[in-house]
Amino acid sequence: MKKHIIVLLILSLLLTGCWDSRELNEIAITLAIGIDKVEDEYQITVQVVVPSEVSIKTGTGRSTVTLFQANGNTVYEAFRKMTKDSPRKIYPGHLRMLVLGEELALEGIGDSLDLFARDWEFRSDFYVVVAKNRTAAEILNITTTLENIPANKMFEALKTSDESWSATRGIKLHELIADISSEGKEAVLTGILAMGNQEIGASKQNVETITPSARIQYGQLAIFKKDKLVGWLSERESRGYNDIINSVKTTVMPIACPKKGTLTIEVTDLNSVIKSKVINENPEVDVNIRVKGNIGEVECQINLSELKTIHELEKIYENELKEIVNETIDNLQNKYKSDIFGFGEAIHRSNPKEWKRIKKQWDSEFPDLEVNVEVDMQIQRTGTINNSLLKKE
Amino acid sequence: MWFSKKKNNKELTLSIPSSTQAVGSNQKAALQTSLQQNIQTLKDTLGKSSDIIIREIRFGKEGNINAGIIYTDGLTDTHSLQNFILETLMLDIVEIELQEKASPEQNLISVLKDVAMTVGEIKEIADFDVLITSLLSGDTIILVDGYARSLIISNKQWVERGVTEPTAQTLIRGPREGFTENLRVNTALVRRKLKDPNLWMESKIIGTRTKTNIEMMYINGIANDKVVEEVRLRLDGIDIDGILESGNIEELIQDAPYSPFPTIFNTERPDTVASALLEGRIAILIDGTPFALIVPALFIQFFQSPEDYYQRADIASFIRLLRFFSFGIALLAPALFVAITTFHQSMLPPALLISLAAQREGVPLPAFVEAMLMEITFEILREAGLRMPRSIGSAMSIVGAFVIGTAAVEAGIISAAMVIVVSLTAISSFVAPIYDIAISVRMLRFIFIILAASFGLFGITVGLIALILHLCSLRSFGMPYMSPLAPFNVSDQKDTSIRLPIWKMFTRPRLISQQNRVRQQDPASAKPEPPKN
Repeated sequence: MKKHIIVLLILSLLLTGCWDSRELNEIAITLAIGIDKVEDEYQITVQVVVPSEVSIKTGTGRSTVTLFQANGNTVYEAFRKMTKDSPRKIYPGHLRMLVLGEELALEGIGDSLDLFARDWEFRSDFYVVVAKNRTAAEILNITTTLENIPANKMFEALKTSDESWSATRGIKLHELIADISSEGKEAVLTGILAMGNQEIGASKQNVETITPSARIQYGQLAIFKKDKLVGWLSERESRGYNDIINSVKTTVMPIACPKKGTLTIEVTDLNSVIKSKVINENPEVDVNIRVKGNIGEVECQINLSELKTIHELEKIYENELKEIVNETIDNLQNKYKSDIFGFGEAIHRSNPKEWKRIKKQWDSEFPDLEVNVEVDMQIQRTGTINNSLLKKE
Repeated sequence: MWFSKKKNNKELTLSIPSSTQAVGSNQKAALQTSLQQNIQTLKDTLGKSSDIIIREIRFGKEGNINAGIIYTDGLTDTHSLQNFILETLMLDIVEIELQEKASPEQNLISVLKDVAMTVGEIKEIADFDVLITSLLSGDTIILVDGYARSLIISNKQWVERGVTEPTAQTLIRGPREGFTENLRVNTALVRRKLKDPNLWMESKIIGTRTKTNIEMMYINGIANDKVVEEVRLRLDGIDIDGILESGNIEELIQDAPYSPFPTIFNTERPDTVASALLEGRIAILIDGTPFALIVPALFIQFFQSPEDYYQRADIASFIRLLRFFSFGIALLAPALFVAITTFHQSMLPPALLISLAAQREGVPLPAFVEAMLMEITFEILREAGLRMPRSIGSAMSIVGAFVIGTAAVEAGIISAAMVIVVSLTAISSFVAPIYDIAISVRMLRFIFIILAASFGLFGITVGLIALILHLCSLRSFGMPYMSPLAPFNVSDQKDTSIRLPIWKMFTRPRLISQQNRVRQQDPASAKPEPPKN
């Protein structure tokens, strides 16, 4: 009899099964989410994949994604309200992009991010970007070519650009949250721009031409103070910023030739170290940048077969980069007063006592911080040809 | 309630054999002196079976000795019966003064046996029971009037299949001969490979009605005496009316009757038997089937093909790892697919998720039902393919490929990914060199699909833990089934998941043969090397 009961108990376990199972055609695979602030309410826009349209076999030429929108007092509320419209439950496990509207960014993004960090269904490996001059909904409403799912295009473009162009930086949710919550560092986010004709951009027509009427592109970095947007870095400053915080994998940088014309350096390795020291009870920060690179393109008359010239070029690069970096730091210290470089963290790391003293008034201390920049550059290769093709001598 | 019923059943089954024994003891009788009486008793015992031939003759100088020659038609070599028995008795013996040679100490029967009969195997018996058994096994019986003894001449011969290539366990490199239905041929095939005086065979007759001959083979001095004794005990304990195939014996002596895993190995290859004997295992050969049993059997043994030892060690190791891998696929692939697509979508890369979701668009059934449907369809096809006449096999394979392939997908009932998973599973289950382990997996797969559909990966994990616990708890004739993995033995890893070169295998498996473990005496010279100078 005892055995009997055990068997029944085990069988009853099977009856309860499947309570959280979802078939693949019962979920709305969400790849991008946009958050805007509209009249004191959150407006959530989700970009959901239409799987049958992605498949080559069953595709009928309709849009590969569709948008659902809902408003709510909180982000979560808006998400649940979306079921009024969406036939399937929003499944955000594979989220690639979180687009924040500029309006929201100006007011503060901190509160709206809580759900993304708290809910177990979200992974924290999606990029967070700010829509410049637009609402997030408008950004998500543009069709793209090559990658026919716009969210994938945004993700891949940012990933590639992050790796090979030093003026962009892909920031994922966990990095953003770490930056916002850190005391000695402020957050930055990549800006995303929508250009061209919005109306055509929202239609299939947009991707039927060689040159799309509307396109999405990454722009400069957005500067935050706490969780509020305070300004935008220029392309040059974005480059300086990435050089300082050591987030450059590879990039290229044009420099002036000794006489006239330009020459492009391909940076293959950039390593930057931020260290702090205290001199006369005043904290100072040293930024050491070591660069390794090749000569990528020569558009001037120069004799590369001489070692002297190479050293000369290294000097020029060092000076130019130093200039960019100093300019960036100046601008941040004086104009935006936001420590996006994490200098405060650097002081905290090496001089915890000093940091304890100045922590409270760090906002007022930062603009007066002494920053010494050192750049060391090494040219390793000159490419497969030696001198310029048009060399006359 | 049905527990108490079950107990009653047990008592019932116990009472049946005792009654048959009673019948058997009734027949046990000695021969009579009168020929007519003996023949009458024979006729009474055998009914009017048309295949029993009773030939009464008279022989001797004046033709005054009455005798009966009895044999089973079809089981006896009529040619030798004619040449060496009838001719001898009726023509040659006339010249010999038989009566003179017969003295009180040496009766006529013994004289016939010693002087007259020109045949090899001949026995003199007085027991009626033995006479019947011999007669039905194909021996020729000679009864002489006036003597309560009979001669049994072994001239069995019947139509049988020759030694052919094994069909169930094929290989590319290796001997092509397989066992046949004849026990003597089979023992000869093994003896030819092992010319060792220590290769001992013990005969047993099992089955009160079939009287099936069984040979228990082992190498004395290598096989563990305790296991030999255990096998002997279990075989002697069998009390059944009929043994028709090795499977009958296997079921009656196995350790874990309710386990889906086989604890007795079977093979139709003499080389496999010989290699098992060399490792210290015990083989049981059964008359009437080309399948021999080998005990003790271990889990890993079912992943070892004899070819592993005939081809190079590196490729053999690779293929063996491949077999373990495909065992995993055959067991888990559909379950994992169901679990991941219905519970753990976040485990899939985004591109794959979208592609799978696209295939599922419009599929009306849940993934679980889809998987069960496809698996059952495949099992039906497989069974049908086995049972149907050969000539319509090709028609079925076309229909089968159509049903589980194209048509199901095009009709939108089954997603293409599921077809891929099920086909992969099907192919993987055929990789196992021994069919038995593939059968175990076949059933367990369904349990895992159900677990996956109810609890996701959690269910699969719990199922796997239970499976491993079960495997570890199994014993085969005292040997832990999972050895040498659990309990772990470093030295025996040489022939477990990988196979080391033969010149590296110096010892026999530790748990199987506890005595005489060394296979190669000199480790230093075992490795082949070109001469140094």
